[in-house]
Amino acid sequence: MTDHFLGIDLGSSFTKLCVIDSDDKVRFKTVFPTLSRNRHKLQENLDFVYEKFAIQSRCVTGYGRITYADCDVKKTELICSAVGASKDFPYRKTVIDIGGEDVKIIACDGSGKVEHFHMNDKCAAGTGAFIMEVAEKAELGDEDMSQLAKSSDSAKELNSFCTVFAKTEILQWKFAGVPPEDMAKGIYLSIVNRIVKMSYDRNLPVILCGGVIDFHPYISELLKERLPMEMHVPEDPQYISAYGAALIAMREADRLKSSAHLVSSVEG
Amino acid sequence: MNPLKSTESLKELMCSYYQSFKTPVAWCTSAGPAELLRAFGFTVYFPENHGALIGVTRTANHFIPLAINAGYSGEICSYLTCDIGAYLAKSSPLTKAYGLSSVPQPDLIVYNTNQCREVADWFGFYAREFDCPIHGIYPPRHLENISSAEIDLVVHQLKDLISVCEETTGEKFDQDRFIEVLRLSSEATNLWQQVLQTAKSHPSPMTFFDGTIHMGPIVVLRGTQECVNYYGTLLDELNERIKNGEGALANEKYRIFWDGMPVWGRLRALSDLFAKNNAAVITSTYCNSWVFDSFDLNAPLQSLALAYTQIFINRGEETKLMMLKKWVEDYEIDGIVFHDAKTCFNNSNNRFGLPDRLRKETGIPTLVIEGDLNDLRFYSDGQNQTKIETFIEQIAA
Repeated sequence: MTDHFLGIDLGSSFTKLCVIDSDDKVRFKTVFPTLSRNRHKLQENLDFVYEKFAIQSRCVTGYGRITYADCDVKKTELICSAVGASKDFPYRKTVIDIGGEDVKIIACDGSGKVEHFHMNDKCAAGTGAFIMEVAEKAELGDEDMSQLAKSSDSAKELNSFCTVFAKTEILQWKFAGVPPEDMAKGIYLSIVNRIVKMSYDRNLPVILCGGVIDFHPYISELLKERLPMEMHVPEDPQYISAYGAALIAMREADRLKSSAHLVSSVEG
Repeated sequence: MNPLKSTESLKELMCSYYQSFKTPVAWCTSAGPAELLRAFGFTVYFPENHGALIGVTRTANHFIPLAINAGYSGEICSYLTCDIGAYLAKSSPLTKAYGLSSVPQPDLIVYNTNQCREVADWFGFYAREFDCPIHGIYPPRHLENISSAEIDLVVHQLKDLISVCEETTGEKFDQDRFIEVLRLSSEATNLWQQVLQTAKSHPSPMTFFDGTIHMGPIVVLRGTQECVNYYGTLLDELNERIKNGEGALANEKYRIFWDGMPVWGRLRALSDLFAKNNAAVITSTYCNSWVFDSFDLNAPLQSLALAYTQIFINRGEETKLMMLKKWVEDYEIDGIVFHDAKTCFNNSNNRFGLPDRLRKETGIPTLVIEGDLNDLRFYSDGQNQTKIETFIEQIAA
């Protein structure tokens, strides 16, 4: 049976699993809510993975990594996103990972080594949680929000970075009869304003990843209008961190093998 | 973690300090002219130490709302808001820790704005509450080079303070007594400096987190023989560790510098987090704030003025950069953490580009973590753990 490696990204909103083979190719991936009513979802998916693939090692990442024990190595999602994004973009770059509850700005080299990073401060503005909260108040369906926003030519922005106050603003927009597409775009512009305020090396190309870009691709177009850097969105941006975790799991398996080999040659 | 044996004598010393208050009592800021006050026979109480105790006991968020209710913003110094809130609640951690029914009542309140303007408002509240005389030293702020004219200005203000002390105590200023207090303070601060410098060793026998606890006496007891004795004992223990190659951490792989305020309510959690990742946070701008190496018994008042004006927090950005670079070099630092304390503008040194300049000039990685000295509503455990683990990984790679 071929060797496989598992990346588990226990994100604040969604859990992503990614299985790769020894050629770095993705063999399986799945996503499901981290804290769903079905508490067995993770285990069911893991059971499936362990039955179908010969998993040699597992790396866990995301906020859930701290308490998760059933793994060979733990790495933060910044490390994993940098490694994951470097597979297809093997040069110096800035990875912008917009997740459920944070935004990560990671400057890294071609191999994924982190050179410098920033995260948003303790506030959900500019993240997936912000969109979900505010879009709910605006009564917009998540799935068509990107298409909806794209059809707007409004430049109306939500002024507030605070999720609660942004919801109040949305309420005022609704009372004022602002059309849904303008509300959708306004929410995105608020996210973009938050992200462009963070600190970047403006000479480096940008790789956009994370669940928000996956679900709301129009944000990448708005970001391209606001930031001067060359910008790329990888295939399956939501899985970049889980994919990076799987790559790290493979390195860990190699490391364990070589230290076992070292021990056996010393003992031998 | 490797606990220091001196902690037991530290507890006894701090306990005896808090039992020692007798009239006249002066309140003073932590980098205020305590030596002059002791020379007049004041027992000296330091509200900042009280603020730190509230922080360590994680009770600040019970008290801060009371200060907000009294008209203070929740985004100004959380020492100020929690301390005033505790006063309004008629509560103090000193009761549980040392059996005091309340904070000692002041006969004179003295502050030095070398650290921030907030102390003037904080102490002013108590001057009104206790109808107590108050005197402020206002040195020039954010200095690069320090001129003799600037020191003369502070000396002039210290002379005014002497007159206020004479009026409050009814005693004439005794220069010999002042010089004796200054000698003891100088001896203690030199020992404290040597204590901190033991962290230059590999492995370091102490951490910044040890420093935040063991700095108690240099803040509240400098100018006394007990303080000198204590740091002599602590230094002996640390030197013994160095001799035995014993580190504060079992496995010190990375050496970290901490800039800014401690997160008092998360000392243990942060200490454990760094230790778990084999990173020793070995020194800090904060603990070095009580190294006053300019005290000169031949020019007592001038040297007092200089010592309290040239502290890190009162310097310009260029001087801060130079001082940080020297620490990085002397202590062979692998990475620097800047704590951006939400309610402490004056001691959050990341806000004017200093981390970027330091990183470019030294090549050493820097990290900014958001938090606060006492208001834990501004601190996110999960986010900061992710940042710190990534940072250590970045250093390790």
